[in-house]
Amino acid sequence: MSTVVNFENLWCVFEHRSGQLVHALEDVNFRVDPGEFVCVVGRSGHGKTTLLRVLAGLQPPTAGAVKLGETAVTGPGSDRAMVFQQDTVFPWLHVKENVEFGLRANKLPEDERNEITDYWLQAVGLEEFADSWPRELSGGMRKRVALASAMAVGSDVVLMDEPFGSLDYFTRRNLHEVLLNLWFETKKTIFFVTHDIEEALILADRVILLAEGKLVDDIAVTLPRPRNEDVRATPEAVGIFKLILAHLGITEEEATQA
Amino acid sequence: MTTTDSDVLNVRAAAHRARRRSKIAYTLYLILGLVVFFLIWQLIASPISPLFYLIPPPVDAVKHFAENLMFSQRMVDRFVHACPELLDELEITGGGMFDLPDYCFGYILHLVRTTRNIMIAVTLGTVFGLTVGLSSLVFPRIADVVTPIAGFFGTTPIFIAAPFFVIWFGIEYPLMTTVGVVVFYTTLLMYFFSRRAADNIPVGIIESALTLGGDRGSIFRWVYLPGTIPEIAGGFRIALAGAWGLGTLVEVLGPQMGGGFLIRMWSFAMGLLEGPSAVVSLILFFGVLAVVVDGILVLFIRYITRWSEAGRRLGL
Repeated sequence: MSTVVNFENLWCVFEHRSGQLVHALEDVNFRVDPGEFVCVVGRSGHGKTTLLRVLAGLQPPTAGAVKLGETAVTGPGSDRAMVFQQDTVFPWLHVKENVEFGLRANKLPEDERNEITDYWLQAVGLEEFADSWPRELSGGMRKRVALASAMAVGSDVVLMDEPFGSLDYFTRRNLHEVLLNLWFETKKTIFFVTHDIEEALILADRVILLAEGKLVDDIAVTLPRPRNEDVRATPEAVGIFKLILAHLGITEEEATQA
Repeated sequence: MTTTDSDVLNVRAAAHRARRRSKIAYTLYLILGLVVFFLIWQLIASPISPLFYLIPPPVDAVKHFAENLMFSQRMVDRFVHACPELLDELEITGGGMFDLPDYCFGYILHLVRTTRNIMIAVTLGTVFGLTVGLSSLVFPRIADVVTPIAGFFGTTPIFIAAPFFVIWFGIEYPLMTTVGVVVFYTTLLMYFFSRRAADNIPVGIIESALTLGGDRGSIFRWVYLPGTIPEIAGGFRIALAGAWGLGTLVEVLGPQMGGGFLIRMWSFAMGLLEGPSAVVSLILFFGVLAVVVDGILVLFIRYITRWSEAGRRLGL
């Protein structure tokens, strides 16, 4: 795992139908080292998803570049597999075929495909559902399928755009554990977009804070792992929480109500 | 309280019973619907009805069909047969029309001809429509060229275009006329359905496939093809259902062959006792044929879209 990701003077400007220019990203610069777990946090509409889409190659930047090592991102590819907020599991493929999709697209031999697929199905606890249709699974299980598909393809960098946003608290917590276990095991670089500060504190090594398209802070989260309720109640954790709130312009009352 | 294996089995058995009850209820309501349909028909055809002279009782229609299926004296009397190739041969050999075998004067050859023509036409139209529609997903320029043309023809209702086809190809080429109209109609319909089906695949799914390493070919094969099947299958059912009506209508208008031609032939004899029975029996035949073919199609669609709830519903 040796891919450094560099965001260099990244701008992304959209023209609204009214002719007004919307600055989704403004001169974003930061570097992510291999194996880091980075959470990108910000309010809705402040550029988090755009940042991830530019990195995924699904959205060209207006200026600047995202580089993987020395290579600028020019389009999507399996070196940056992405897990989306919406359900993107292929409903017409069995669970196993879903996980196998990227391997098949990358023309891996069948034996190798089977081996990798079985491994990742087991890793996310879905080996018994290999031959099920996605419609037979719960929302949380479908997210596991998406996660296994992204992991199985073998990319160094995994992008996750609020993947657990639509799930209930308990399923989300369970998936956090699954994700962290996979990350410990593989040490892939993970970009995880969320607007949930608590989720970022549970998962991240670093929190990149975006407000109105600008990078307003880059916070190292040095809390010990596993980050259970006790760890999240420590003064250090509370301090980071309050710092993020302050950067986002959210009062503690608003945060409590949310 | 804990759940035991026997509780689970009881729940499963109850669900199985409920499913079976629902199937039985469906069949009973289907039979009830058919009985009501035939009762109303019988009532309309009874001497107390003002439509008595126009609508025969169901039994008369079925009887007429059975009696005229393989040989019809009426068709001999009207010099109508369905063996043009044989007639040519007879003319060359100096034989006469009455030397033709009996089945040439039955309904059977006409009905087989219509069924064959419609099947050929729907198959060709589906192949053309899907080829263009699905290719345009891989090569979007095709859509840029074809969509305006298809849109132009698509705005002309096919029932307006049908008489022009009859004039165009005349009654000399019945195959061209019937097949031509149905191919035209099916091609347009399947093109639009394949495009719409592709548009309805969520963008997120395509983007996910891209980030997993999918290229044009693999996304077409594993995303677009299977993902568009439910809507394309639905479109095919609509195309086929319309094709029965359209193909027969074209035959009513022009060609001297086929089930539609038989309906036209008998329409001139509506005043006769047999006329209404003949027309209704032929309509009934096409109705039953369409339902049977659609039923087989539904079973097939259910199988190929078994992954999809929407597909299942579509097949119902």
